[in-house]
Amino acid sequence: MSRRYKLWCALALLGASHALVLFAGFFAPYSYSTQNRDMPYAPPMRIHFIDAQGSLHARPFVYALKEDSALSGTYVTDHSREYPVHLFVHGSSYKVLGLFDSRIHLFGVEQPARLFLLGTDEYGRDQFTRFLYGGQVSLAAGLIAAAISLLLGGIIGTLAGFYGGWIDEVLMRAGELFFALPWLYLLFAVRAALPLHIAQWQVFLLLLAVCGIIGWTRPARLIRGVVLSAKERNFVIAARTFGASDFYLMRRHVLPQTYGIILTQAALLVPQFILAEVTLTFLGLGVGAPMASWGGLIASLQHYYVLASYWWMFAPALLLIPIFAAYYVIADELQEHLKSVPL
Amino acid sequence: MNGQASSISRENPPLIDIRGLNKKYIQRRPLTREKFLVRAIVDANLTIRQGTTVGLLGESGAGKSTLVRCMALIEKPTEGQIWFEDTKVFDSKTSSISGLRTQVQVIFQDAASALNPRLTAAEIVMEPLEIQRIGAKSERRERAMELLERVGLSRTWERRKPLEFSGGQRQRLALARALALKPKLLIFDEALSHLDLASRETMLELLVSLKNKCDLTYFHVSHDLEMLRGITDEIAVMCEGTIVESKPTAELFAHPEHSYTRDLLQAMPQLETIYSKRFAHELS
Amino acid sequence: MRYLARRLVHAILLLIAISMLSFMLLQWTPGDFFDTMRLDPRISAQTVEGLRSQFGVNQSFGARYLSWTRSLMRGNMGYSLSYDTPVAPLLWSRAKNTLLLAGISALLAWMIAIPIGIWSAASKGGYGDKIFGTGISTLLAIPDLVLFLVLLLIAVRTGWFPTGGMISSNFDGMSAWQKINDGIWHFVLPSAGLAIVMLPVLVRHIRSAMIEALESPFIRAARAHGIPRMRILLRYALLAASNPLISLLGFSIATILSGSAILEVIMSWPGLGPVMVQAILSRDVNVVAGIVMLSSVFLVAGNLFADVLLVASDPRIRAE
Repeated sequence: MSRRYKLWCALALLGASHALVLFAGFFAPYSYSTQNRDMPYAPPMRIHFIDAQGSLHARPFVYALKEDSALSGTYVTDHSREYPVHLFVHGSSYKVLGLFDSRIHLFGVEQPARLFLLGTDEYGRDQFTRFLYGGQVSLAAGLIAAAISLLLGGIIGTLAGFYGGWIDEVLMRAGELFFALPWLYLLFAVRAALPLHIAQWQVFLLLLAVCGIIGWTRPARLIRGVVLSAKERNFVIAARTFGASDFYLMRRHVLPQTYGIILTQAALLVPQFILAEVTLTFLGLGVGAPMASWGGLIASLQHYYVLASYWWMFAPALLLIPIFAAYYVIADELQEHLKSVPL
Repeated sequence: MNGQASSISRENPPLIDIRGLNKKYIQRRPLTREKFLVRAIVDANLTIRQGTTVGLLGESGAGKSTLVRCMALIEKPTEGQIWFEDTKVFDSKTSSISGLRTQVQVIFQDAASALNPRLTAAEIVMEPLEIQRIGAKSERRERAMELLERVGLSRTWERRKPLEFSGGQRQRLALARALALKPKLLIFDEALSHLDLASRETMLELLVSLKNKCDLTYFHVSHDLEMLRGITDEIAVMCEGTIVESKPTAELFAHPEHSYTRDLLQAMPQLETIYSKRFAHELS
Repeated sequence: MRYLARRLVHAILLLIAISMLSFMLLQWTPGDFFDTMRLDPRISAQTVEGLRSQFGVNQSFGARYLSWTRSLMRGNMGYSLSYDTPVAPLLWSRAKNTLLLAGISALLAWMIAIPIGIWSAASKGGYGDKIFGTGISTLLAIPDLVLFLVLLLIAVRTGWFPTGGMISSNFDGMSAWQKINDGIWHFVLPSAGLAIVMLPVLVRHIRSAMIEALESPFIRAARAHGIPRMRILLRYALLAASNPLISLLGFSIATILSGSAILEVIMSWPGLGPVMVQAILSRDVNVVAGIVMLSSVFLVAGNLFADVLLVASDPRIRAE
């Protein structure tokens, strides 16, 4: 696969997954909190084109699942009736982008059948739906925390590199302090300092802030390096002889040189912070029910019986892999590209 | 030209007067971080008169670049003072410096590094005007075009990036930019040393024609004695941070005082023989 | 030598700063262990207050910090209110397990990464490099958490390995040989997990450090002198590349500690990780502070060790 091709694939994958997650309400057949107590741990439904009699249907359909009267906890397919899959159905209400209400879902089936593409969890909640909604939390966490880190790191790195002297010393020492701590333990420590029962969104915001605050050291150091070499360039000195202010120099000449590094760091930080959020929630220290998060979705895997019998609960974990891979491919490409730029 | 110049130079008012300049700074060794003192400039005195071309001779490490930076008002000396047209430059009030900065411009040795590779030629020449907020955008562009033409570059090249020019053209671009704010003094920090002879000739001719038109004073920092001999009215010699000698060019070559100068000149006859041998070969 | 002295002073200052940070962080905990007790109507307010003053929870900030550091020096990390036992011995026994796991996994990872990195660098752009490169990139894309879960899944589904713990429940009744076997059997999956997680970063760094060394002028000169390839690779290039790699060793300790915490929770390995999680859930301030301090000490010690290695291996530093 050529490099260009790989890059476009990665970008397309990320674009698609973010779009899916952003419009989770539309793409998901159900709401993330809808429980089906009568169908806990239902396996994923298969979409069929050919029915039990062997005839082909134009429109795909599903069979209903019924609990097996003989073996409780397992399910049996009811072949008596086909439930076609419809597009653009009316379902539960949700908010598009948090702005306006809508009831249209991309696909769905008629009651009493259910379309569980990824099965259900212990409360009978559709995992596919929760995966899409969970993405909102986890992906947003990654993006926002990375943005905070980069902003902080950018400002600190630029100031340290540009002004040097004691500012540089102080900032870099502070950075070393943060660098010296294992990030997970620091995260734990801050989490410990927070009351256990504060509102979910507050936990979320605070976690983001902490991730951002821990993560500034590496970008800061790299940006500082770029700024240090940039400010010694003759064209910066020349601009100084024209009477340029520090701010002008930073804006016009120095900062544009950092864009490459910022992008590369972004591509590396986002997956790290997504993982941080997922890990914390997985351990029960992050965002909790009923808000979905990918960490929460795989949390039940800690239980032996889930791991042994309900394989579909693993799906969210595996779906993380392509997303991470895409980010790393982009980071690699950016790094290669940076090496070849004349500056 | 030299004889005429020396009589002029005695009469012209001093443009820049450097008295007792000292620049020391502390550096650290790379790994042990041990501090040691670097004395870049030691009690330097120099006078440059208006309308003249003065040369600064010295080997690498003698402190030439540091002197240039102080003269261009990019760095402050540890001790000493510079007078620019009767104004004390390094006063306790720093505001005076920014006004004076535009009067002195530097052309660097490596033009490629002095020009931001991401900007176009027009943007580069316009930059000083932009920083000083002179005129409206269209006026700035027009002035930039004028300057390009004045240094012998075509208007049509305004959108080119620096790397698309040749070495000599890049120096001319840097020159155009330097002229934008109508400076009084142009400092050439080894600016001509990396040019091939043809480009150097073109550049020197350009400089001569510009000098009278724009009422400029030139300061050439170089280690190329041959070249300085041909273009300067006065030459100063710098050795280990201090100006050891400063005389009109002809006098310097005829009666060098300092041992360093004499050593330099002694090396020269060998160059003359090399050159004359080469020309003799070509002519025959 | 001066370099080492400087690094030592630096390390001590760092530790002091971290101790202050961790202490501050925890003192800002709104509410403490006794909050739940206070809510219980059966326990009188006076009893709670009495308990609080007994444990010194209501003294001033400065006093508490000083007494904390003093006892820290003596090796006393306070008392765990939730485990009802002194913190230090609790953490120490757990820390030994974590160190065992992390140490051996790191050793494994480096032992695998070095040959792969060297070979990839030596055959840069060739078949070996491409295959390993793809493999490493794939591994990199798998998040630690997912990998550990996959390993757990393997254990559960195949039964080849135990699904957790460090020793079986009938450990004490085993013979010495059986004990060793049992220990190794429990050790395989967790250490494999940690090692795999560390591999990609290590291989990449080793590869790039080796490539840089191989492309430097003095190596080319060595080749021109006809020195055999293997010798160049191992005796010259590797040594030249060792400087950045030793620094990498120092940095990677932080990642190892973080990664091992997650692994320990998932695979029920009795290390510091599960204790930390429990402590947060039960708001056991002393334990959390203790673990942060302990892990920082490991980190700083590890970095100092890396500095010693650096001085030993790089003559340029010794010369200063």
